[in-house]
Amino acid sequence: MKKRHSLLFLIFAFVFAQLAWMGLLTLWIYWYVSNNLIFQQVGDKLSPQIVIDSPNVGVFVGGIILIVLIAVALFFIFRNLTVQMKVTTLYDNFIANVTHELKSPLSSIQLYLETLSIKKVQADKQKEFLEIMMKDANRLKKLINSILEISRLEQKRIAHDYHVYNADSIIKQLVADAVGQFRLSDNSVKIKGELQCKCVIDKDAMQIVFDNLTDNAIKYSRPPVNIDVKISRLPKRILIEFIDKGIGIEQKNQKTIFHKFQRIDNKNIPNVKGTGLGLYWVKEIVKFHGGRVSVFSEGENKGSCFRIELPIYQTSKKFYVNSLLRQTARKEKTMEVTDGE
Amino acid sequence: MENDSIRKEKILLVEDEETLAIGLEYNLTDEGYAVDWARDGRQALVLFNTNEYDLIILDIMLPYYNGFEIAQQVRAKYPQMPILMLTARTSVEDKVRGLELGADDYMTKPFHLQELLLRIKGMLKRKLWYKSSTESQPVFRFGNNEINFENLHCKSSDKEFVLTQREAMVMKYLLEKKGKIVSRKELLENVWHITSEVETRTVDNFISRLRKYFEEDPQSPVYIKSIRSAGYSFEDKID
Repeated sequence: MKKRHSLLFLIFAFVFAQLAWMGLLTLWIYWYVSNNLIFQQVGDKLSPQIVIDSPNVGVFVGGIILIVLIAVALFFIFRNLTVQMKVTTLYDNFIANVTHELKSPLSSIQLYLETLSIKKVQADKQKEFLEIMMKDANRLKKLINSILEISRLEQKRIAHDYHVYNADSIIKQLVADAVGQFRLSDNSVKIKGELQCKCVIDKDAMQIVFDNLTDNAIKYSRPPVNIDVKISRLPKRILIEFIDKGIGIEQKNQKTIFHKFQRIDNKNIPNVKGTGLGLYWVKEIVKFHGGRVSVFSEGENKGSCFRIELPIYQTSKKFYVNSLLRQTARKEKTMEVTDGE
Repeated sequence: MENDSIRKEKILLVEDEETLAIGLEYNLTDEGYAVDWARDGRQALVLFNTNEYDLIILDIMLPYYNGFEIAQQVRAKYPQMPILMLTARTSVEDKVRGLELGADDYMTKPFHLQELLLRIKGMLKRKLWYKSSTESQPVFRFGNNEINFENLHCKSSDKEFVLTQREAMVMKYLLEKKGKIVSRKELLENVWHITSEVETRTVDNFISRLRKYFEEDPQSPVYIKSIRSAGYSFEDKID
């Protein structure tokens, strides 16, 4: 509520400032024109030789330009402020989500430790509890790592090991690894299509993309999970379509879901917990590769299709992709030198 | 274990974190309670509407319906149901909202197992005390006011409203000690079952709410009087 009020206040202040400037400008013009007429008339009467010279006009025009500049600057400050406010709100959401995500496994671990220390627990139960604690500890580790990765992502350091791969095999391998990680059965994921081209990829970073897409497909589908991955070739790009039969995404959310810390708030969908970072990573990592990502969904409960387009090696975005390869080569060289020393 | 011979007290555990729920279920069962576990808001409401429970342990961030919404629905149907909110949300706003919507207690994660078990025990004991003490005289009248301690419906002059369980308990406690001074600490210990000195403001908030309900002029109360630096006292002029 407070935020909405401060935004309203900001808009009001902005509109008021603009009106004040315009009012001042009008007054100024009115004053100039009327005075100019008087000066001319009086001047003509007093001494016809006096000429109202142009420097005055220069000052007048200069003044107007300055005012317009100030108005434009005000506009930019206003826009910047509203963006900042939006980011702050999203950041608050993020902190709330992360706190929740950190506390849940922690309280679970604490609960089992206290149970084991207070109560006499049978041996088989003890083993079960220990396994649960390991699972929770792993969850904590994963979450902390992912938070630490944000700064690497922001500095574009998350993807730095680009190499040329056979597109068909690398994409199929990445999908298979993602599926394996979430212990999905082989039947639940089908890869269709074949590619006869090469692409430049940072394997570890691209793995994050497919892991996140698979994770989302599982989170937002009712079991059994069904994922279709279609790979095909566009004239200059590789197209990977990642299709699930989950709860789908409403039209209005299809663009915003890639924003940082963004999470959809909807009564009809399960409020699956998360940091709101997964799809932001997907977008950023694909962007680093010179590609783009979009989502298509016919609406609620009609599944979603994530479309990733990546440049084909030496066909599209040649200059950019080669610069990625050069960067990797340079880094590898520096590493060799450092190792040699 | 001691309850085996009689009916086990039944707890509805609403928690979407599977690992936490398994541990809680184990401990509550070990303490002699019968436990039903709902993993999301929808399931919680289905279970609540089909079974009878003595207490609900409720998480806030849940799939489909959040804890606040569930607390509201539960309160509407069964105003006396003890609800313990168990959540990772620590902000004062959440706590206030939870308590206002009718949660009787609010614990934040991570929590201590023994404390949780003690609070549950306390809540069930209070429920029993409340039930037994209202059964004989469910409706109480003073001045233009009428409180039904069974369904928590109240009348005050022309107004009609429903108290929350906690408000009713504070009122009940004051009525039982009619004419005597009840300190904030005493209320905290007997109605909230907490001893923290910090929370005395909570009592004041409840009292000011009760005054708004029952006093013609809440600024100069006739029934629920403040006794300077001692606490509160319920006075019924007509008696």
